[in-house]
Amino acid sequence: MSNHILELNNVTKNFPGVKALDDANFKLKKGSIHALLGENGAGKSTMIKIITGVYKQDSGDLIIDNNKKSFSSPNEANKSGISVVHQERNLIRRFSVGENLMLNNLPKNNFGLINYDQVSEQSKKWLDIMELDINPNTIVSELTVAKMQLCEIAKALSLESKILLLDEPTSSLSPQDTKNLFSLLKRLVKEQDVSIVFVSHKLEEVFEICDEVTVLRDGKNACVSENIKNLDRQKLVKLMIGRDEQIIKSKENQNENKENLLDLVNINTDLGHKEISLNLKKGEILGLYGLVGAGRTELIKCLLGLDRIISGKLVLNNEVIKIHSPKEALEKYKIGYISEDRKKEGLILMHDVLTNAGITVWSKLKKILSFLNNGIIYNKVDPYVKKLEVKTPSYKQLVSNLSGGNQQKISVAKWLAAGTDILFIDEPTVGIDIKTKAYLHELIINLSKNGTSIILITSDMPEMIGLADRIITMKDFKVVGETINNHNYDDMSASIMANIHE
Amino acid sequence: MKTKIPDFVKTNQFGLLLLVIVFVLLFTFTTDGFSSRFNIYALSRVVAIDIMIGLAMMVVILTGGLNLSLGALGVSAAMFGGWCMESMGIPISISIVLILLFGSLLGWINGFVTVKTGVHSFIVTLATMSIYFGFMTLLTEAEAFRKLPETFTDFGSMKLFNKYVSPLLLLSIFTCFILFYLFKFTDIGRKLIAAGANPDAAELSGISVNRMFIYCHMLSGFLAAVAGIMLTARIGAAIPSMAGHLGFDWLLPAFLAPVIGGTLLSGGKVTVFGTMLGAVLVTLINNGLYLIDVGEFWVRFFLGLILLFAVLLDRAREYFTSKNSIVS
Amino acid sequence: MNDLLKKDWFGLGIVIIFGSILISIFKPAFISPFNLYVLMLSVSLMLVVAMSQMIIIAIGQMNLSVGAIGGLVAISFTGLMEVYDLSIFLSMCIGLGIGVICGFINGYITVKTGISAFIITLATLYIFKGMNLGITEAQPFYDIPDAVKYFGNAKIFGPIPFLVIIPVIITFFMWILMNRTTLGRYMLAYGNNVQSSELMGISSTKIVVYAHIISGLLAAIGGMLVVCRLQLGTPNIGDSWLLPSFAAPVIGGAILAGGKVDVIATAFGVILVAIISQTLVIFKIDPFFVQIFLGFMILIAVFINRYREYREERRNKVFSNE
Repeated sequence: MSNHILELNNVTKNFPGVKALDDANFKLKKGSIHALLGENGAGKSTMIKIITGVYKQDSGDLIIDNNKKSFSSPNEANKSGISVVHQERNLIRRFSVGENLMLNNLPKNNFGLINYDQVSEQSKKWLDIMELDINPNTIVSELTVAKMQLCEIAKALSLESKILLLDEPTSSLSPQDTKNLFSLLKRLVKEQDVSIVFVSHKLEEVFEICDEVTVLRDGKNACVSENIKNLDRQKLVKLMIGRDEQIIKSKENQNENKENLLDLVNINTDLGHKEISLNLKKGEILGLYGLVGAGRTELIKCLLGLDRIISGKLVLNNEVIKIHSPKEALEKYKIGYISEDRKKEGLILMHDVLTNAGITVWSKLKKILSFLNNGIIYNKVDPYVKKLEVKTPSYKQLVSNLSGGNQQKISVAKWLAAGTDILFIDEPTVGIDIKTKAYLHELIINLSKNGTSIILITSDMPEMIGLADRIITMKDFKVVGETINNHNYDDMSASIMANIHE
Repeated sequence: MKTKIPDFVKTNQFGLLLLVIVFVLLFTFTTDGFSSRFNIYALSRVVAIDIMIGLAMMVVILTGGLNLSLGALGVSAAMFGGWCMESMGIPISISIVLILLFGSLLGWINGFVTVKTGVHSFIVTLATMSIYFGFMTLLTEAEAFRKLPETFTDFGSMKLFNKYVSPLLLLSIFTCFILFYLFKFTDIGRKLIAAGANPDAAELSGISVNRMFIYCHMLSGFLAAVAGIMLTARIGAAIPSMAGHLGFDWLLPAFLAPVIGGTLLSGGKVTVFGTMLGAVLVTLINNGLYLIDVGEFWVRFFLGLILLFAVLLDRAREYFTSKNSIVS
Repeated sequence: MNDLLKKDWFGLGIVIIFGSILISIFKPAFISPFNLYVLMLSVSLMLVVAMSQMIIIAIGQMNLSVGAIGGLVAISFTGLMEVYDLSIFLSMCIGLGIGVICGFINGYITVKTGISAFIITLATLYIFKGMNLGITEAQPFYDIPDAVKYFGNAKIFGPIPFLVIIPVIITFFMWILMNRTTLGRYMLAYGNNVQSSELMGISSTKIVVYAHIISGLLAAIGGMLVVCRLQLGTPNIGDSWLLPSFAAPVIGGAILAGGKVDVIATAFGVILVAIISQTLVIFKIDPFFVQIFLGFMILIAVFINRYREYREERRNKVFSNE
């Protein structure tokens, strides 16, 4: 009898065109906090979906507490004692905390009608176990995200779950919330007989709270149930990407005597930014670092006119300007924005490569009577698409059929074709394969060498330290630090973290 | 193993064309009177109007929305025109321009309210449908204009091509070509499609999505007004109830034609000639059923079934093609 | 007090009370027994129709075929009695059965194919209406048992019509459903967030099908109530239901995206619309203005509801995940 509460043995899962999991293994010891790691595309999310009943494996065994199981739905996984707390919140926002907690088992009175007093009472029990000071009658939408997440964990407990799977649990939490969460998790494991699968890309957290690690790479195990004490960051990264982490070699900084191109002076926005002041020099790469929720993308969207700037000035080339829309930003001021979310905001997935690559230049290319045909667009964008080495069978290929890396290249190509002076780049390499990642880094460096001024938002520390000339740190919609980048990883990461944790 | 099937054959339009041909042949040989001059001519006039109605809805479906008010709008525009021509004695050509402007204005209102309030166009046009129809009924006191200038009504009953075809049909086909050109060969047409396909991405790429949506609604109003003009010409009078209560009669062809034609309800895709063929198919089936003596009362039932099948088929097609695409 | 103000029905109730007082000052005929009787009749008939749409709005969908179902059941109800001489009770049961089947068709196709309910019910609107016309050939059924006619037009006492009993009972049950039963809460959960509710183990199929069955059932009851009142079964019953079926829930604060409806507020919405229509008649304003008015009211109500949601969201935006 093993002391594993959850086992995946030799599990394989195929999808059309790709083998997501190839003879993969996972073993969760009772009472442990076990990290499941892997780059995007490594098979992590497939494994999670098999554990939680969304998918069924093609071959291999799923064993819960020494019983072989086969789930046809998340509901069945729930009944077997597995609960998931996803990255996005999954509570019913208009209902009360109590009702959410008791939703699967609403207490009824003699007439078969819901007894709300009992709902409050019974749910309070679980909130108390978690030492959560929340009134069960509170409507969920009035809670903070951190509290919502804790309520979801309370719900998992109330379902008598023995296995708790947390997917990127700290992505929206402040450092204090994270601390609270971690002490809670440790307590749960000790006092409530719960075992935890911890999925995160924040390696620092893995070292803080987990005792064992399983790493997936290309659908296979890079390691199984490795004791955390035997690992350090370098070893872990090597397991995840198959080779040593690369510190990007970048150009020498050319900050000397560069004039300011774009100035933000005491910008306050509708979204909550307070007194943001920073400047972008011509031809430099200005990095904007921060945790999720720091307000960086939101700031860019305000600059593009999508949300209101309440007060403050925007100065371009020593002239005060006001930008009312991305259209104006592009056509009047030659400012472009490579979106964070390429599938929702960067590309039109249902349209083809030619449409997506040319969308920014239609206005410029049109001839008399608005005439514009595919040939004209092709002539303009082809050089850029070729330059980026986009792999596509034809221009008529739907963008949704391209790989992530090629999709990202198209979303970049259209801005190259547009010929912008200033480019806001937001998380350019999330979920992109290593090779394309390196390619895009080189591209960004070349762009800045050739005179494009860039504001780079990224949560990838090595990427930031490799590329940026200066790094601005943001937290809670304010600027909390500015440093010149010496490209030394240890120095810079320490200084940035210090800025954030002040 | 792989046979080379030309792209065109795989399209929706080709399938529709085949269906149309099949039905024409079917009805010609199984009924008396389908292929008579009288019937074909009558059909050509109905098809002409249904095509315009279908196009009017199509350009709004493109934005991912709906224009429920197009019947009320078209009739209001037509009544306005009737007032211009009959009560005010304004010459036909100027009246027509005024009608089109009026239709575009009502369409603009739909678009403006939708865009500025963020309320879904379904609700907005559900409301404007009653508002437009109400005002129209009020102002005209539900009286028809039956003494329109002869030149105008003559055009409606003109017969071309050996008395088989109405010029109204040629007008509709001509409009199809113009719209096709708009969407395929102009910069603004591409922008309209991009805005409808993914408003967020389009906005960030430098397209003014709100403006594009308003243009779509204005175009819809314009096309609905044209349909109203055609209907008036065909009847020979401008009657408030000619599109049914609140303009409801137009809604079925307005949906059927684009949906059968391959326009996606979620937006971002237009099929001008698909819509045209869809309208032709619907009219054919309508007419055929009538001739086979199904009884005018059951026709609506069958059309409803056809709509249901059309959407089910579309969904099935979507499902099967997505299974073959690469997981990205 | 703040809590009361937040409730959708409270503000509406105030408007109704003050509005009525105001109108009766200018036109005392407004509170005459006869006028109150007509008002209550109108409310009775529309209440059930509004509930029929409301439950579908609760799950975040729309039912365009409410009127068509009502009409089909109305003529079936009368037709069975007139042509086949069936008893009132049997005809009624069959009528209800038709409503259930129509609703089931709507719900089942919607949830199994994933096509929007709007399109499915647009198609079934024509299918059911087509059946209606096909059966009746646009002719009404006249021959109705006296008991039915009596029920539709007699009064309990004073100005209160018999007819009001059924809608009131239905409203009561709807309130219980949406506020005190698991099914109702699950429907609202589904309307709030389909994905979350599925992850919580709520069966989408069950929810959507049940909601549409109830909607069809209510539409059927509505159709039969109209027959009682009109004392005949005409094929155009239900033709004018679409707009008011949306107006009442929306005025009652419903969010069309789903997950938020208020039974009492919807009832108040029906009352408000009825009062406005009545008032226009009393003041001798052209009845066509009702259409225009309804249209504007829907726009304004939807706009206000969205604005309130927007304000709530903004207040929580500081805490929420982007």
